[in-house]
Amino acid sequence: MALEENRRQELRDKFGEFATSRDPELRKALVEAHIGLAEFLARRFNNRGEALDDLVQVASLALVKAVDRFDPDRGVEFSTYATHTIAGELKRHFRDRGWAVRAPRRMQELYLRLGQIVSTLSQELGRSPTIAEMARSAGVSEEEVLEALEAGQAYRSSSLDSPGGAGEDQGDDLSTRLGEDDPGFERAEGRAILSPLVAELPARQQQILQLRFYEGLTQSEIAQELGISQMHVSRLLSRSLMFLRSRAAENAPG
Amino acid sequence: MPPQASEQVGDKASSQLGHGGDDQVRLTLPARPEYVRLARITASGLASRLGFSWDEIEDLRLAVDELCHALLSPLPTDGTMRLRYAMADDAIEVFARLDQGPGKAVRAPAIGDLSHQILSALVDEHRLVDPESSLWIRKVRRDPAP
Repeated sequence: MALEENRRQELRDKFGEFATSRDPELRKALVEAHIGLAEFLARRFNNRGEALDDLVQVASLALVKAVDRFDPDRGVEFSTYATHTIAGELKRHFRDRGWAVRAPRRMQELYLRLGQIVSTLSQELGRSPTIAEMARSAGVSEEEVLEALEAGQAYRSSSLDSPGGAGEDQGDDLSTRLGEDDPGFERAEGRAILSPLVAELPARQQQILQLRFYEGLTQSEIAQELGISQMHVSRLLSRSLMFLRSRAAENAPG
Repeated sequence: MPPQASEQVGDKASSQLGHGGDDQVRLTLPARPEYVRLARITASGLASRLGFSWDEIEDLRLAVDELCHALLSPLPTDGTMRLRYAMADDAIEVFARLDQGPGKAVRAPAIGDLSHQILSALVDEHRLVDPESSLWIRKVRRDPAP
């Protein structure tokens, strides 16, 4: 990530200005300028049984946090500071995963393989496969398939990977603001149908909620409609619901 | 009006299944979020036995998740989640309730409009049963078995 010196100076100036102005536009520019760093670090944690898109999201949220907390007067380069913050959040993400993280590597690999198997079998059969069919295709037992499906889910109680969550961090809806989650994607219409909290989710998660809970499409149909994997739909759905629950709990009186 | 403490979870509504091969599984878990995983994996394991498809099982798992979090919201300081899974040839039912311990009234599950909308999409039927102390869902297998 070598930046030219004048570009570096320009960023330093922007950080200096942001330290006093806290201008949201400036903040956005600073985050965008370093988004490559977040993606780079996320990739370094890849292949540990977590989907890369989840890791990129964690890293991106950590980047926003780093931009907000960076003190240019400390004499440390932002990239150094941000690397430390982002790597810390990624490590914490793995640690917080609890059971899923402790799941044997074999299980995590099986989960990734099952993603391919679901989509292949769905096409071959013209319907959603049974667990028995998936187990046969993967050459493992049904119990192992079920265990892997559970292990692969991003079920977490922390709100770190929930855009808009984590009350102290106002910048958590990063992907919404930057549109990097889904270039050119329209926000789902009628999102207020479910809950006003839905509007805090990234556009794609809103769209998936809309398709599943309002239009009644199955997860496989949504995957096909959006051109993404069924496993990805499944993860985004469970993550969205977890986010809505945690936000609803925060807003609840008492 | 709290129901009798001795009452089994959801037994009064068990006629929903009619007669026939209705195996039942009971699960008693500490009322803490980290145990919800076991409620989910039990549901997916049983549904798999009945030949549910991946799509249906993913939905059932989300529904059980919703069910348990309704019991745990707000998080009780103490207590037990009691789940009962009842199987028919082509359907599974789950009863869930929070037991806060001897001498304490059973707390009615918190189920808001959002939860209703979510459950409506995920399962065939859902409602409060056992004078509103338990949540009940029923999901029917639709996708053709192989």
